Order: sequence, then structure tokens, then C-alpha cells
Amino acid sequence: MSNNYFNTLPLREQLEQLGKCRFMSMDEFSDGVDALKGKKMVVIGCGAQGLNQGLNLRDSGLDVSYALREAAIAEKRQSWKNATENGFVVGTYQELIPTADVVLNLTPDKQHTPVVNAIMPLMKEGACLSYSHGFNIVEEGMKVREDLTVIMVAPKCPGSEVRAEYVRGFGVPTLIAVHEDNDPKGEGLALAKAYAVGTGGHKAGVLMSSFIAEVKSDLMGEQTILCGMLQTGSLLCFDKMVEEGIDPGYASKLIQYGWETITEALKYGGVTNMLDRLSNPAKIKAFDLAEEMKQIMRPLYNKHQDDIIDGTFSRTMMEDWANDDKNLLGWRAETAETAFEKTPAGDVEISEQEYFDNGILMVAMVKAGVELAFETMTAAGIIPDSAYYESLHETPLIANTIARKKLYEMNATISDTAEYGCYLYNHACLPLLADFMKDIKTDVIGKGLELDDTGVDNARLIEVNAALRSHPVEAIGSVLRGHMADMKKIV
Amino acid sequence: MNIRLDNLTVNFDDRFQLDEINWQLDDTQHWVITGTNGAGKSALAAILAGAGDIVSGSMSGIPAKVGLVSFEAQAELIERERKKDDADIMDVIAEGTPVHEILHEGDRNPALIQQLVTMFKLESLLERAFRKLSTGESRKVMLIRALASEPDLLILDEPFDGLDAHTLEMLQQYLLGLVETVPMILVLNRFDEFPDFITHIAYVDQGRLQHQIDRHDSQAYNELYHLLHLKTTELQVPPTDSDTALPPLDPTQPLVRLNKINVTYDGHRIIDSLDWTIEPNQHWQLSGPNGSGKTCLLSLITGDHPQCYVNDIFVFGFQRGNGESIWQIKQFIGYVSTALQWEYKVGTGLRNVIISGFYDSIGLYTKATDRQKQIADEWLALLGMSDRADTPFNKLSYGDQRLLLIARAMVKHPPLLILDEPCLGLDDMNRQLVLALIEKICAGSETSVLYVNHHAEDKIKGIDNYLALEKREPDSSK
Ligand SMILES: NC(=O)c1ccc[n+]([C@@H]2O[C@H](COP(=O)([O-])OP(=O)(O)OC[C@H]3O[C@@H](n4cnc5c(N)ncnc54)[C@H](OP(=O)(O)O)[C@@H]3O)[C@@H](O)[C@H]2O)c1
Repeated sequence: MSNNYFNTLPLREQLEQLGKCRFMSMDEFSDGVDALKGKKMVVIGCGAQGLNQGLNLRDSGLDVSYALREAAIAEKRQSWKNATENGFVVGTYQELIPTADVVLNLTPDKQHTPVVNAIMPLMKEGACLSYSHGFNIVEEGMKVREDLTVIMVAPKCPGSEVRAEYVRGFGVPTLIAVHEDNDPKGEGLALAKAYAVGTGGHKAGVLMSSFIAEVKSDLMGEQTILCGMLQTGSLLCFDKMVEEGIDPGYASKLIQYGWETITEALKYGGVTNMLDRLSNPAKIKAFDLAEEMKQIMRPLYNKHQDDIIDGTFSRTMMEDWANDDKNLLGWRAETAETAFEKTPAGDVEISEQEYFDNGILMVAMVKAGVELAFETMTAAGIIPDSAYYESLHETPLIANTIARKKLYEMNATISDTAEYGCYLYNHACLPLLADFMKDIKTDVIGKGLELDDTGVDNARLIEVNAALRSHPVEAIGSVLRGHMADMKKIV
Repeated sequence: MNIRLDNLTVNFDDRFQLDEINWQLDDTQHWVITGTNGAGKSALAAILAGAGDIVSGSMSGIPAKVGLVSFEAQAELIERERKKDDADIMDVIAEGTPVHEILHEGDRNPALIQQLVTMFKLESLLERAFRKLSTGESRKVMLIRALASEPDLLILDEPFDGLDAHTLEMLQQYLLGLVETVPMILVLNRFDEFPDFITHIAYVDQGRLQHQIDRHDSQAYNELYHLLHLKTTELQVPPTDSDTALPPLDPTQPLVRLNKINVTYDGHRIIDSLDWTIEPNQHWQLSGPNGSGKTCLLSLITGDHPQCYVNDIFVFGFQRGNGESIWQIKQFIGYVSTALQWEYKVGTGLRNVIISGFYDSIGLYTKATDRQKQIADEWLALLGMSDRADTPFNKLSYGDQRLLLIARAMVKHPPLLILDEPCLGLDDMNRQLVLALIEKICAGSETSVLYVNHHAEDKIKGIDNYLALEKREPDSSK
């Protein structure tokens, strides 16, 4: 039934859409929320994105209400509570959709086809349908009524962040797009911009992109570096440490909080800064390990990107949807049974610096994953700005979820799509790195180098520093972080 | 020597009273007594030299020889000399007692007098009548009298006032020579005058000994410094930035009008049909126990409570829920609370924290103008934090953070300043600091202050409207 939209386009068009991405300047948002003033915005679904985007939009002076499915209202589910306790008008599709000028579809991606099919006949002539992720349009080929405008406003953060940053007077980086097949009145861009202002996104930076570029890069980032690499890395590092006799409580803690701590350095100063936190010998060690892993994993990253681009990934995932999520649920149960997941973090003190010193391999894994994901995405025609947001930028955000409650929390927070992709990656990557892991000892994971002499060869250090700093993700990273740093002084 | 004052209340001719002083000093210590003018610091020093009438309590351990130099003692001596002249019935023109006689009165060491006279360069004045001396000259005489009496306890009340630079340095050197042998008590109100040998500081306010701190407790020392700075400087609330001036408000309309407010949470009614109007230039105190809905009520005004959209709320010209944004509301409000302080976990420098008040943001996301920086610096000066403009906010002590957040809230001269339990979690010294700043703001600006606290009795000068909320019992509230 579903029909991959991307695959229906000629190659020229595919490349053009993939390469669409531009960092918008602040003065393009000088009209504020005007384009949405007085319009009726109806949100479908009141979950992580739905509630928090709605709160922001209302606080920006816009008219927001919620259409929920009848069961959610009748059973007073959490989504109903979220909306009513916050003083929003809640109604059924029949009650609210016909009055809406803009309908915000913020239900889970998996539900988009039935949801959109249910609401489309109810929508007013010439109204606008918006998404926060383009999966339904791009991978499922959803055909929207010709008179409707279709836009995307995708915050590059979990819903809770979307709200927290707004309340601070800031926002989160956001990607916007207009579906060119559905822009009958040419007002898509103006609506998307006003929507981004309403959520506060314009203050943190907005990328003007396409549905296609958003989907293909978002999927790639989440299944490889963001979730896949962190999951695989957690399992490998934990098992190795225990095998080498390190106290399991310590190992568990080093990993659970280690990702968050080392990627914090990534957030502020990119891969370079993350490695600069290591001693010189440790930095060279991490660099070499990362080079080795990049070589081993590159075919896997290429395969993920190829499967995403040609639709193989979404097709197999949708087959699993049709099969009652057999694979997804099986993999989820399997993850819960891993030794890492079942060993609670020990009651030991680990200083911030110790996470780096004793986690050289983890630093190397983050470096390898970020760079590979970025390289693979840009090689596929995705613009560096977009590739940066989908790889390096989001890594610390995902690492935070692991710090909260390990892999369980990460997989609960991310979308089903990301979770499915994460397991795919994990299953392929574990055996791929098995040989590499055989040579790994506690000097790079668990104990640190423990050298008496921390001297290094000058020429080698210069070479490593230069290689770190000249990677393309660092170039675009410093530009984009610069945009933020001008404004964003928060620590 | 081991002096003890227990619950001592001393009356000074019904003009002034020191209340319930508890204080212990021994001869290894050197104290500074400090406080604002009229606080009672000179009185506290003077009772050790026998001044005042003890009403209750006890004082013991005062050594036999106490040397006291103070303006009061100086004035007394001058007065005595004048009376002598008036009483003089002889038919010769009274010259008054010459300085050398005054110096040698009582039990004093003549050799030491000689030495000190040379040091203070008083040789040429020895024959002059004491009452004819200038204030500075007679002060030197007082100092020599006290020092030459070889006291067991030396009390110097503002000894450095009015001395020329040379004499000042000489005196400081001399005191340094006494450190090992004579315990000293100095009354001083300028921190930069505290000699290094001081070991303890007593802070007096309104006739009470409010704080006693160890000189080496650097945090307490710093807080006391701020308190004194705030209390003693003539506070001018710095001007605001005319470029980011707020839109004008209609002066005939209330700032806030809440009409039959209801807030329900999980089926519990937190606020039940409440009316409240805040007119321009009114100062209000809102009190009530925990759970009485104080913070909830405030968040309806600030726009942080989601149910502000389902209540009849008029704020700063906006009837809520008609397409206004919360930033249009917040621009008129300065806000400080413990919760804000928790949220404000930033490493931003102090100057930028203050500037963020112009934008109602936590952290600063916009480039500040030169004018804004200048205003922020004026606030830092007012708080006595000029030297820390670039210090990260999160490196500040808890009390200093609170002060800074008040400055942040005030920087744009909001029509309404909301202080939600501004003293919560602060120790006594920081409480006084914060209250001193609030009083200045109440007195010196166009801002209406809304002060919120637990206890209705914790009043602030200048606030004269009160709203007390009561705790709602869960049962009756459904
Ligand atoms: N999570 C992120 O970090 C993130 C970031 C950017 C964009 N997005 C995108 O935002 C969208 C929403 O994601 P989310 O994470 O906010 O999802 P979510 O938290 O799972 O919330 C989904 C909401 O939709 C409702 N819902 C579920 N199935 C439904 C159906 N069949 N019909 C109608 N309503 C249904 C749910 O309420 P009831 O079950 O009570 O009806 C729930 O309130 C997705 O497109 C996602 O890709 C997510």
C-alpha cells in the first residue's frame, strides 16, 4: 500500500532534495508569529512533542487546542490529562479538525498513515498540515489532498528540552521544510517560519531543508552514532571490563555516566575538545583506536545509509510493523537482559576527569561514530549543516538519557523508528568489532594508561592534532556552534 | 583578662539602649566593632569603659585599666574644660588647662608621654590651652592619654578619623607594636580600615550585637562586608536603558487584576474564587503557610501557570488569552525566587546575569549593548561586587547569588517586582542583606514591590498592603 516517495523521483531531483539545507539568518524571522496570528492551530496527540510544542505556541500568543482519539478522551489517558490540566481545549477529530487552519500531526510516526487518513477528509479547504518528522511523506509516500499545504517543523531535541529552553527565553535548533508537492498557495514557508518562532526555535538556529533531507539524515544519525554506537559501545566496554576483572559496579558506572561526561566536552568544543581532555599519550591512543574502528565499521555505515536512501530500511521496518513488531519487541527484551543493563552502577566516586582517563576507548568510539556518520551522510549528498545536527549535535542529548537509566531509558525516549534502527546497527556491529576487542585491555577501558612517563613524540602529536582539527565536522561545527555561542552563553 | 557580657541591657540616659548583649572576649583577641551610624557600636565600646546604666544582665572581667579614645570622651573633656572656664570667677582672662597638664593628669607614664608627644609632633602645642586645639589636635592628645596610661584593654572608637596620612601610618605602626601585649577593640565602619591584626568582628545593629565572626571565616567576612556596604552607602537605584524602555502603561489602570480566580489540580482546588487588584505604586506583602497557593497565585500573574488561560486575568494592559505572548507580560515583571535560583545554573559572568534581566532570559542569548553593560556595572558597584564582573555566577555564594538575581530583576525598572520568599534558605546575615536591598528599592524607585513570605510578621519598611492566604484542607477543597 505504501509507496516510497523518494524512489518515485528522478535522480536529479533526489540529489537536489537531499542537498537542500541552509542556515537561516535571524532577520528572516522578523515577522514573528504574524503568519499564524488569529489562526486556529489544532494539535493531534499530546505526548512529548505535542504537549511541549503546544505550550510554547500558546505562550507565544497563538490559539492552540488538541484533537485526541476518542479512546484517549473516554479513558482519560495521559495525553488527555496533559492537555486538560494545562488548560487547553480538548475535543474529538470531528469537533476540532473542521475548524482548524493548521493541523499539527504529533502522533507517533508509526500511526501517521491511519491518523492522516482519518483527519484529511475533515480538514478545511486550503488548511495546512504539519509534521515534526517527514517519515510519513517520504518513506510511506503519503499523498495529501491537493488544496492542503504541507510543512515540517522539526525540533532537533526531545520535547522536554523544547519546553525548558523556551521557558529560559531561548529555544532548540529546528529544521523546517515545505513539501513542494503541497504548497498550493505558496504560504508554506511563511507558516513554517512563524511556527518555528512560536516554539522559540528561531533563537537557537533554523535550518531550511527538505522533507527528504530531514528523513534520510535523521534516520542515519539516530541508528548509527546516536543510539546504535552508544548501545554497542556500552555492551562491548562493559563485558570487556568485567572479563578483565574490573569491579562490575565500577564498570557499570563508568559507562552509564561516562557517555554523558565525555560528550559534554563534545558539545562545547567538538571532537577536538573531547580528545584534548585526554593526556597526550592517551589522545594519541584514542586517535589510533578510532582510526582502526573507522576502517572496520565504514562498510556498516555505508550499508545503513544505502538502505535508508533506497528505502530498504523503512520497508523492512514496516514489514515488522505489519508483523506486530515481532523483531522490535524481541530485541527490546534481549537488551533488557544484557549484563550491562542488569548491573547497577556501583557506589564509587568517579571524578569528571577520570571518565576521560579511564574511558579512552569510549572517547575513541564517539569520535569514530561521529566522524563516520558525518562522512557517510555528506557523501550521500546531505549538506554538512544538516549532517552536523544529526550526528555530533545530538550525541550529548542521547548520552543524557543513558545517564538517567541506561539503555532502557534511551530506547524508551527515542522513537520506535530510532529504536528499531538502533537494534539493527547493534546486531551488525557487535560481531564486526569482536576481533578488534580481543586486543583491548584495561589501559584503554577501566584503568587508564598508568604511565610513568607521559612524554610523546612531537611529530606524532602534531600530526594527530592537525588531523583532529582539520576534519570537516569540526569546520562546520565551529561555525554552527559559533552561531549559538554568540547568543547562547549558558553552561 | 576574660570579659563576659551576659544578657546585658544598658541604658544611656533614655536616649539609647543596648539590648541583651551576649559577648565574650579574651586577651588573645583583637576586635573590631562595626555597624551603621546610630547602630550602637560606640555605645557597646563605651560600656566596657563604664558608660551607661545596666538595666539587667551582667558584665564581668573588665580589667582595671581601660584606655578609651572616642569622640564622646573627647567631647566630654572639652566640655569639662569649657565649664571650668565658665565657672572661673577670678578676674583674669581664663586661658584654660594647657595640653601638658591634660596629658599628665592621672596615672600615666611620663617617659611614654614624652615619646608619644614627639611621635605625634605635639611639642609646639604643649603650652596651648586644650580647648583651643583643633579637633585633629585634641584627638591626638586623647590618643596619647590613652596609650600612656598603659591600659590592660585599649578601646579606640574611630581612631583614624581626621588624622593626616603621616599620623595615621605612625599610629598603625604603634598599634602593631602592642598586638602581643594589649588586647584591643576598635570601632570602625570602613572595612578597608580594619588592621590586619584584628581577629574578630562584632556587628551591631539597632542596639543589638547581631553577628560575631572570626576574621578568618572568609565567607562570613565577605557577607558582612556586603551588608555594611549596602547599609552605609547612599543607595541610588541605577537608571535603566532608554533604548530597551518598556512600552508605557495606562496609569489609571491596575497593574494586575485577578477576578474570581480558580485553580484546580488533580481534583483539588488550590485557589478558590480569589479577587486581587494591584494598583501602580502599591507595595504588597503576600503571606501564607506552605501549600496555601502563594507560588501558584504568582505564576498566574507571571504567565507561568498554564491555567492562566482559563481564568479572568488582566495584567499590564492585557486581558490574558487574547493573543498576547508571555514575553509581552514578563517584560513588565522582575522576578526572584528560590526556584529561579535553582534554574539559574549557569556559568555566565555576573555582568551578563544582570543584563539577562533586560531579556527575561536565563542566560544571555543576545549581544548586550554598551549602555546595558554600563548599567550592569553600576548595579555591581551597588552590590559591592565590581571586582567580580566576570566571575561565573555558579561560583558565587548562595546569598550573593540571591542579591545578584534581585539586581537582575530590577535592571529594567519593572513596574512590578515579585520577590517570592527572597530570604528563604539564607542565614541571618544574608537575610539582612536582602532586606536592606529591598527596603532601598521600595523607597527609591517607581517599582511596586510584591513581597512574598511565610510569616506575615516579617515585615518590610515601606510595604503597607497585605494579602494573607490560608492553607486549604484537601477535603473541603474539592
Ligand atoms: N521524541 C523526539 O525527540 C522527537 C523529536 C523531534 C520530532 N519528533 C516527532 O514528533 C512526533 C511525535 O513524537 P513524540 O515523541 O511526541 O510521540 P509520543 O510522545 O509517543 O506522543 C504521541 C501522542 O500521540 C497519541 N497517539 C498515539 N497513537 C495515536 C493514534 N493512533 N491516533 C491518535 N493519536 C495517537 C498519543 O496519545 P494517546 O495514546 O493517549 O492517544 C500521544 O499523546 C513524531 O513524528 C516524531 O518523529 C520527535
